[in-house]
Amino acid sequence: METTIFVWMVAIPLLASLVIYLLGRLGVQQDIIPERSGLVHWSAFVAALITWIPFVLAVRDYFEHRSGIFHIESILLAVDGLSLLMTFIVLLLGTLVILFSGQYMAGEIGEEKYYVMLLVMIGVMIGLSCAQDLFNLWVWFEAMAVSSYLLVAFYRRQPASLEAGMKYLVQSAVGSVFVLLGIAMVLAETHTLVLTQIRIAAAPSPILLAAGGLFVIGFGVKIAIVPMHTWLPDAHSQAPSGISAMLSGIVIEIGLLALLRTLSALAGVTDSWSYLLMGFGTLNMLYGNLMALRQSQVKRLLAYSSLSHIGYILLGLGIAIFSHQNGGAEGAFFHIFNHGMMKGLAFLSAGTLLYALKLSRGSHDSLVISDLAGAASRYPVPALALSIAVLGLGGLPPLAGFMSKWQIFAAGFVTQDIFVICLVVFAALNSVLSLAYYAPLVNTMYRSQPGQEVATGAKIPATMLIPLGLLASLVIVLGFWPGLMDWIILPASQSLLAGF
Amino acid sequence: MPAILVLCVILFPWVGAVAVWLVRDHRPRWQHSLAVGFSLLAGICATVLVFITGSELVLSIPLGGFFGSATFRADGLGAFLALIAAGIGSLTVIFSVDYMRGQKQLGRYYFFVLFFIGAMCGLVLSNSLLMLFFFWEITALCSYALISFYNEDPKAVAGGIKALVITQLGGIGLLAGALVVYANLGTFDIDVFLSQAGEFPTAALSITGFCILAAAAAKSAQIPFFTWLPDAMEAPTPVSALIHAATMVNAGVYLLARFFPAFSVVPGWKMAVLITGMVTALLAAIMAAASVDLKRVLAYSTVSQLGYMVYAIGAGGVLASQFHLLSHAIFKALLFLAAGAVIHTIGTRDMRQMGGLGRQMPFVRNVFIVGALALAGIPLLNGFWSKELILETGLQGGPTWAFWFMAAGAGLTGLYTLRMVGMVFFGEAYKEQHVHDATMNMRIALGLLGAGTLSSWMLIGPFSQILARSAFFGEVQGISLAHMVSEITATPATWVVLILIASGGCIWLLRGRLTWLNSTLVWIGWAAEASFGFEWLNKQVVTLFNHSANILRRTQTGILNWNVLGITAGLLIVMLYLLLWN
Repeated sequence: METTIFVWMVAIPLLASLVIYLLGRLGVQQDIIPERSGLVHWSAFVAALITWIPFVLAVRDYFEHRSGIFHIESILLAVDGLSLLMTFIVLLLGTLVILFSGQYMAGEIGEEKYYVMLLVMIGVMIGLSCAQDLFNLWVWFEAMAVSSYLLVAFYRRQPASLEAGMKYLVQSAVGSVFVLLGIAMVLAETHTLVLTQIRIAAAPSPILLAAGGLFVIGFGVKIAIVPMHTWLPDAHSQAPSGISAMLSGIVIEIGLLALLRTLSALAGVTDSWSYLLMGFGTLNMLYGNLMALRQSQVKRLLAYSSLSHIGYILLGLGIAIFSHQNGGAEGAFFHIFNHGMMKGLAFLSAGTLLYALKLSRGSHDSLVISDLAGAASRYPVPALALSIAVLGLGGLPPLAGFMSKWQIFAAGFVTQDIFVICLVVFAALNSVLSLAYYAPLVNTMYRSQPGQEVATGAKIPATMLIPLGLLASLVIVLGFWPGLMDWIILPASQSLLAGF
Repeated sequence: MPAILVLCVILFPWVGAVAVWLVRDHRPRWQHSLAVGFSLLAGICATVLVFITGSELVLSIPLGGFFGSATFRADGLGAFLALIAAGIGSLTVIFSVDYMRGQKQLGRYYFFVLFFIGAMCGLVLSNSLLMLFFFWEITALCSYALISFYNEDPKAVAGGIKALVITQLGGIGLLAGALVVYANLGTFDIDVFLSQAGEFPTAALSITGFCILAAAAAKSAQIPFFTWLPDAMEAPTPVSALIHAATMVNAGVYLLARFFPAFSVVPGWKMAVLITGMVTALLAAIMAAASVDLKRVLAYSTVSQLGYMVYAIGAGGVLASQFHLLSHAIFKALLFLAAGAVIHTIGTRDMRQMGGLGRQMPFVRNVFIVGALALAGIPLLNGFWSKELILETGLQGGPTWAFWFMAAGAGLTGLYTLRMVGMVFFGEAYKEQHVHDATMNMRIALGLLGAGTLSSWMLIGPFSQILARSAFFGEVQGISLAHMVSEITATPATWVVLILIASGGCIWLLRGRLTWLNSTLVWIGWAAEASFGFEWLNKQVVTLFNHSANILRRTQTGILNWNVLGITAGLLIVMLYLLLWN
């Protein structure tokens, strides 16, 4: 039963991508389908909606009889709490991004390839979250990487996009090589690739230590851990805005999931994994905030802010693994969800403004903060959405970011360890620092006189406003009732700590 | 019944805020009416609530799992502060109808004012540390949004962000304190903490106490965190009256009063509180005397008076501090709104460009003088009674040398108050200009506040009764009006202070003849204008961060080889670490 559900969850996006590719190419080549009919866009949207059905069935299945490991031929999979959480975020963000991208990508060269790659990425991310052996984990991981390279470099006539895509490709490949080396070492030492069996067979040994280090760095490129992060500001700012939302919102977090799966297999080797996570988390927080402080390009600023939020998440997970208590993991997973929503909202609203002010006129210039002057007067919804997103990212109530940060901080204090508490206070200080670059964005948008750019901007279609409204409402609601996400956060944290 | 009132007091302003936002800016009359209506509703509910205070929990809303429940308690301390927030809130909204007439983006203004009123009420009625912090941060958000309301003005934007960052930094103290409590008790409930504070490990209790003191000092603009308040004067003046005089800055004093039963036993805590208050009161009074911006004088005076309240708590006089909080909220709001009426018509905040305005603005001049007399501590206004109560309590519960510093501060208060009144309303007019007196809505607000200034001291009896019934575990006793009057008039300390205040006034009046005093004190004047080096400190911190960020930018070279080197360097470091640690 679970096999079928899983297969459908992955197959629907992948098959749909094939169909859409054919539709798109036929449309272009044979002129069968009129241009700008939106057929490709709406087909992709429908496919994304249909994928929710097996997901809901999987959720119901999980809560009824806590499904175990199943296999398809020799690959092992399991739909556990972590998989459900990640799949939920992938589907939520993916559906909204596809809806958003309709007008944004209309008329672009290779438009159908955008939806194809996006659907492929969604499908393989769902697959990755369910992987239970190192081999198929790596395959899904690579598939996700390849589809994301093509999406980052989508504007292939723009040198900046190509450059971003190339750097991402090369650095990601370096990371993948390290991961592969690590897998080889694990296989050599434990003679198995199945995560649960590795956990049993793993004993403290230098080879497994080295393998773990390689995993941290290899996956760390994808997670954008400092100093492996250098591809991120370029990639996230040059990609089409929907893809930026996906990248910051879920792709780097899926990389984190892959790292957690592999480290849980090596949990018995050493205690140091939690220290590495906490240490890198601290570095990310400070680095991300300081770099964002000097940014005048909006999307680059948001990209650097993703670095610091990965820092909070790593800190929370490190605390959970260090103390063997659920609190930190719950906070971290809640923050993964909230960050996905808030950063997704931020990139989509920035994308809306980018579309209105630049793209609709055929300009591929980047959006700078001064372009946003007075945006609220002509574009109230995107301005409000961006304000809600960044103030939420800054941890101000009554928005969701406050609640998840509070939870991580509380978990740190509960450990009663002075070192951890200092790290938590450092994290809180960083949260305050981040307001110094989020607040000016809001202030610029709410000037009473629209600037030159805003006054001559285009209209915004409804397909862009609906995802903004949905995400903004979600961010506000979770700020008041954080317990609403408990149904999926608690199983995820339990699954994680069961592994460690 | 209390549960419903608590909900109304918080939700009516919030519903109003959303309503004003939904009505959109092209219907300003609707916006004004809705704002006034909802704030008045909240004021009425808060008034009723004061009469039915008790110390049990009235409301509990589950938030889910780890977050516990949002619990609320309507005791004397909370209800009276909620009344101040909602009551003075509605008066400032009424004042705003005239002050903000014709302004753009009214929806944003009223949204944040109403959102603030609801959040402030929630802050003081909360029984959960999480919700206390939740509302605390919301007030900081509203304060930032309102200070930087005029987004075109870079000074306003800078002031708003500065206020946000500094109060947030203090908020980390509250966060740390709350989480230490949670780590030791497993719950966020304040009543549980207050009743079990005795069993807390002493180190944890001390840390919590000093963290909470830091948070309170930042919110109430005490040394060394006061630099945000003078810059916050860029806000529209009704906002300055409500948030930066009557309510939000009192949140810090509220925090100290609320947690006093738990921390009074921590060694050194009370003395730290007392000294913070004392130093602030004196330094701020000096800075007020050196300022030429009318709102800045009032801002520094607020900081100074908050110093008095903090000093009182440090000396164990919680009743005295809350009584002065009540008086100060009323007379300071009065002074700010009256100053707003002046600024609105004359277009500048610089007192050197005012002068002789009393002739053309008799109503404003009269109410301003009432407020000024209360601030200076002249009998029989509310400021006199509450300030004397503080000084008396301070003399009994704290060191005598501290009393003398505070008395000197009172003298200085008399000086700068007289200076302010003289420079604005009397003397030669700076230039020929037509100014108009306060309009109807302004007069309503000013008149009511003036009446309050003249009479609120008579409420000491019921006021102390309500406080005594709150969750104070016996710290506060009720005293009657007659008792207070006789006690204050009989104490020699009162007369000493009155003489000092009179001297302060005289020194100002005779300043032309006291040139020797002028030349000796000119260096203090320079130091005061530079806010005794604290602004410089602020600038250094900001420069440090910007500088570090600039240096760090070089790590993003844009060259692929360096990027890959970064990856391999990361690998080396991790391998080294794993090798050495295992």
